[in-house]
Amino acid sequence: MTDQDPGLDFSMVIASTVHDMKNSLASLIQAHGEWVKRLPEAHRGTTGQGVIDYEFAHLNGMLVQLLGLYKLGVNQLPLRPDYHELDDFIEAQLAFHQEVLNSRGIAARYEVEDFGLPVFFDRELIGSVVSNVVINAIRYARQEVLISAGQVGEQLVISINDDGPGFPEHMIEHQTDYVLGINQSSGSTGLGLYFAANIARQHQRQGVKGHIEIGNGGALGGGVFRMYLP
Amino acid sequence: MLAWNQKSFLIVDDFSDFRSSVRSMLRELGVKEVDTADNGEQAIKACSQKRYDFILHDFNLGDGKKNGQQVLEDLMTDRLISHESVFVMVTAENGQAMVMSALEWEPDAYLTKPFNRASLAQRLEKIVQRKTLLKPILQALDRGKPAEVLAACVNLTRQDPRFAPLCLRYKADALRDLDQHEPLEAFLKSILADRPQPWAFAALGKLLFKRGRNAEAQAVYEEAIRAFNAMPVLFDGLADVLIASGDNRRAQKMLEEAVRLSPYAVRRQRLLGKLALDNQDFDGASKAYRQAVSQGQFSRFKDPETNLGLAQALISRGGERGLDAHTRVEINQTLGDVAKEHTNDAGLQVRTRLMKATSVASSDPEMAAKLTEQAMARLEGMEQFLSADAALAVAVQLKQLGHESAGAGILKSCAEIYGDDPAVMQNIAKQTDDPQILGAGKAAIDLNMQGIRSYRAGKLGEAQDLFRQALALQPKNISIALNMAQSLLHLGVQNLDAASLTECQNSLKMVGKMPETDPRYDRYQKLRIRAFGQ
Repeated sequence: MTDQDPGLDFSMVIASTVHDMKNSLASLIQAHGEWVKRLPEAHRGTTGQGVIDYEFAHLNGMLVQLLGLYKLGVNQLPLRPDYHELDDFIEAQLAFHQEVLNSRGIAARYEVEDFGLPVFFDRELIGSVVSNVVINAIRYARQEVLISAGQVGEQLVISINDDGPGFPEHMIEHQTDYVLGINQSSGSTGLGLYFAANIARQHQRQGVKGHIEIGNGGALGGGVFRMYLP
Repeated sequence: MLAWNQKSFLIVDDFSDFRSSVRSMLRELGVKEVDTADNGEQAIKACSQKRYDFILHDFNLGDGKKNGQQVLEDLMTDRLISHESVFVMVTAENGQAMVMSALEWEPDAYLTKPFNRASLAQRLEKIVQRKTLLKPILQALDRGKPAEVLAACVNLTRQDPRFAPLCLRYKADALRDLDQHEPLEAFLKSILADRPQPWAFAALGKLLFKRGRNAEAQAVYEEAIRAFNAMPVLFDGLADVLIASGDNRRAQKMLEEAVRLSPYAVRRQRLLGKLALDNQDFDGASKAYRQAVSQGQFSRFKDPETNLGLAQALISRGGERGLDAHTRVEINQTLGDVAKEHTNDAGLQVRTRLMKATSVASSDPEMAAKLTEQAMARLEGMEQFLSADAALAVAVQLKQLGHESAGAGILKSCAEIYGDDPAVMQNIAKQTDDPQILGAGKAAIDLNMQGIRSYRAGKLGEAQDLFRQALALQPKNISIALNMAQSLLHLGVQNLDAASLTECQNSLKMVGKMPETDPRYDRYQKLRIRAFGQ
């Protein structure tokens, strides 16, 4: 026996609270959607609406990521890779963000090279990463977001491009620190990179692990996030 | 584009807001036919009355209720939905439901809340596209013809090699159903060498285990867990192998891990309870059995053995200290449920009474004596055989309750019925040194072994003689009786003379009293149908 009070397992407390928060948010988003449908046309496409849609998506993405990070921490992140059709996967991502894209007036499109084969990855995990990156891209994009997917060597590359100002130089320079979780002070973007890199790394094939990188320029001249999966 | 207006939908969710929101999304798509349900029982009932093209099912329908995975299992097992129907599991959290999945029955897609109309339409259209492509496979599955499934996979892959990855699981399942062990093993190994997936590991582990290659099976599961550390079914598989090789302690650890990842699984909790009880971890056993009882309430896996297990674990946990009032109430409750629900099962009536008597032996000796007497009276007239485990437990309790000779009687008949199983005999030996019990069956068992050798060597008449002698010594032994019947039926029932047919039918009648849970029950049923022609 020890006389120390074990107290609360705080990460567990956060995880179960986040779980409930996510449920609440889902109801809120659903109810709000119903409510907007009843508004007269003229009141729908307002800037306020854009902010609400965007922040809903942003909040949801952060909560999903937080739960993912918790599971990663306790070694319970379920990896279930399977074969998926790329165009289906990316279409689903864009459909998920349709309201936000519409209300912010951003045109999103995708380009997929024909691989000849369905590709192999964990749809849920890669989906939560791509979703967060897309939300980030929407935040900075002026008019356009492009998701492209193709093959480089033996690897699948999914890249998310925007036409915004791009990532800050210091972030690009120190991206390995974020990826390794060394620099955790930059808030959600830094954590996002850590999470994304971890998910990418879980995808392995014959000793080769997936990885991510960020840069500027790309197809639209703004920020570009690339994920390489073996 | 899909012809939405011709498709029928069932929405299952416990929140009416969610149901109406999805209903309005579907209406906007042009869907006309939408039914809703707010729990699993309703969903199953709806599916038994009507064939739905799409079922959108919330995974978590509240504590103590059937979850989406259980509903899917019920629908598939009872063939209430076609393989061509689309089942989408709606979840609150990414990956949550996947972990729970048994890998055996999987939904066509997972959709995470919140989702919008565009997402819903996109997912459903893609699934329908894929299912249209796979139609020949799915129809063969509905017909229950694995050979046709296999042929359809070959056709589809020939048509376009890009479809091969979509066929992998269908092909593996079909090979399994056709008992094509070698091709299946080679196929699974080739999948794992290229792109490891949890289901392929689980299928290979199961196959190797089934074929008695336990060490290899164990290695496969261990490798699988290194690659996919959050999949409960892999821990389940490893636990099965460990139990078979006698490592009950490590098996318990594996199941504890699986339960930590996915606590809502009746069968897993029950097995964990049994293992913990065997390992003398009475606290752990009580917890696991308690979970199994409460989760099993609405499940098709509800089982009186779970309640008896809980009572046993609680009594053992009390040990010398005896039981507190709270525990006595819990035992009373859990046994009462069994007694009430199985009024016609003599074995369960006996066992619940003895269990209850044991629990009140020190607090209320009078009651204990009364219950024991009732149990013994029932036991007297009972024709059904107790399972070996049940008989052993009953013998212990009778002895503890002061009826040693009645206990010895139970052991004696257990030794006669199950005497050819060394594990059972070992457990009997833990309770008695009486050579009358331990040695009585030896001659019969030896004759039975010789009979099996003769049968395998094709010396049918000699085998029948040996089984006949063995059965005369131990008329209730299940294995000997089945062997007798099988050797008589070997040349076909039409070739039996009247006396042999009667002999065959009599040996089957005797062991017809075996518990349905006995692993040989299937074999018995098959022989019975041949001997009695129905």
